[in-house]
Amino acid sequence: METSTLPLSSSTRGKLISAGYTSLSSISSVSSTDLARDVNITEAEAFEILKMANHQVTGSSTSLINGARNAWDMLHEEEALPRITTSCSDLDKILGGGISCRDVTEIGGVPGIGKTQIGIQLSVNVQIPSEFGGLGGKAIYIDTEGSFMVERALQIAEACVEDMEEYTGYIHKHYKANQVQLKPKDILENIFYFRVCSYTEQIALVNHLDKFISENKDVKVVIVDSITFHFRQDFDDLAQRTRVLSEMALKFMKLAKKFSLAVVLLNQVTTKYTEGSFQLALALGDSWSHSCTNRVILYWNGDERYAYIDKSPSLPSASASYTVTSRGLRNSSSSSKRVKMM
Amino acid sequence: MAPLKHLEMENPIIDASFRDFCSSHGILTVEDFLIHDLYELAAFAERQVDADRLKEGITVMLSLLEVKCRPLLNGMELLEDLQRNKHTLSSGDNGTDSLLQGGLREGQVTELVGPSSSGKTQFCMQAAASVAEKQEGSVFYIDTGNSFSARRIAQFICGSSAAAALQKRVLSRISCHTVYDIYTMFDTLQGLEVALRSQMNVNECRLRLLIVDSISSLITPILGGSGSQGRALMVALGYLLKKLAHEHNIAVLVTNHTVGAGENGKTKPALGETWKSIPHVRLMLSRDNRNNICTISILKHTSMLSGQTVTRKDNQQCL
Repeated sequence: METSTLPLSSSTRGKLISAGYTSLSSISSVSSTDLARDVNITEAEAFEILKMANHQVTGSSTSLINGARNAWDMLHEEEALPRITTSCSDLDKILGGGISCRDVTEIGGVPGIGKTQIGIQLSVNVQIPSEFGGLGGKAIYIDTEGSFMVERALQIAEACVEDMEEYTGYIHKHYKANQVQLKPKDILENIFYFRVCSYTEQIALVNHLDKFISENKDVKVVIVDSITFHFRQDFDDLAQRTRVLSEMALKFMKLAKKFSLAVVLLNQVTTKYTEGSFQLALALGDSWSHSCTNRVILYWNGDERYAYIDKSPSLPSASASYTVTSRGLRNSSSSSKRVKMM
Repeated sequence: MAPLKHLEMENPIIDASFRDFCSSHGILTVEDFLIHDLYELAAFAERQVDADRLKEGITVMLSLLEVKCRPLLNGMELLEDLQRNKHTLSSGDNGTDSLLQGGLREGQVTELVGPSSSGKTQFCMQAAASVAEKQEGSVFYIDTGNSFSARRIAQFICGSSAAAALQKRVLSRISCHTVYDIYTMFDTLQGLEVALRSQMNVNECRLRLLIVDSISSLITPILGGSGSQGRALMVALGYLLKKLAHEHNIAVLVTNHTVGAGENGKTKPALGETWKSIPHVRLMLSRDNRNNICTISILKHTSMLSGQTVTRKDNQQCL
């Protein structure tokens, strides 16, 4: 039944099918007044239906050619794709250079491991200007838990500017006047902060992001901290939760692709009973685990924080350690020393 | 069904007098025409003044109906079609090929089921690279999760040390589309159908493999809930894929995810019971993270025993 594939309300569709219009070709051969009379709908609705049916029948082959890109072109694009550094070179190495744009990356871990710290660090690092190898873009930070601390963001921003000044000092030893243009205040100005208090607000915000980003084209990263919080409690109907979450994931994917930005979703953990033992797994269930392009799991190993690439289409699985310092995320200092256990 | 007068534009024989004659027998739509006794109608037409025109009208209607309905094939024709047109495509991995007795078969829909990060996307990319390189056919890759990586496919082509010309030739046969909702998916597939019908198989690079990774992320947002609209769309999508596979001799590969079955802990494929009967072949992938071994087992196959498995060591560079 081809008419069932048109995006219409179920009552209109029911009327169309019971009047006998089951294939798209039968609709396209009819004028809108006849259709309105036969199916008992208004003429404006009939006109809309005709437009949709005709677009499908005639326009699709051209859109096929326009939307097609072959893998050879994409290979060059992929190699030229910019990445957002995490300020920790070990982590960047296993991520292939940093968080990649055009991908949805999910980062999950136990409470206190540093997820919000990574989020704040990324929203500062995305603003590093292109002279220093960054993207020079803005950030959107969607906070659902209230864990964003402005003082901490200022601290990380100041540390970032100091690092950049040190870097120019090395490169342009004689050219003292080449000051870093960016100031910590500017960095804070370029982070768009949204505080979301319920899941309906979260869904509404995701729907609105498309328009928001079209107006602020510099946004290069969208961080959601955390995506789980409003969906864990108060949700009685788990099937509805799965539907809503998969739709949200598809919207994020579309945003990432359309505007070439990175989407970073921070997730919490839960225990799962598999193979006879309780293990830690990321929250929101099995269906959600398919909704991201890359997944990084953060865990404790003794006293050290480690990050493990759990899912990626092009990177091998690896883990790396990192620390959270007062200046932000950095390499763990003990990685260069070998610790011998007696 | 559409009323008879809509046929008048293309077939002028079905004019007002024909329609008046039909409506006098209670035939207003094509459906009524089909259920009516046609001998009786022809006999009544004999008695009318313009008998020849009316009988010609009836014949034209019958010929239109024959054009629309599917042709009948007998067993020999099916066997010939199978041997001549529907070859097996290697999936790029020898173990899987030996499990499936050759690989992916054209004209069939193969489904890969597996938990997250079990290697489904890698399998799809490897199959795409193998078909584009060895069978020299073109590949249509529909990606719903931004997981298509041209760099990874380049690694699958005979190791990454292949000459740039070979890489370019092979990679230009793979075209990738991103689709984020089911209606765009229908548009894309219908556009593909139109393009295939008009192309008529001239060049040697005809479409041989259609990959949808993953189909479950398109269907999960609409499945369930109050109406059965989601399930209707899922079944319509499945039938469209099967139709494309059969009519144009394409192998279709789709990926699905698993859901946990609750207390007993066994995972089962998503999308429910209705989807179970749509793919011809269902394969389950599982990965043991500790020793990096990938297992593929057959859940359902049209001509082989289910339950057979094959394992392979998961080498990160080249599966």
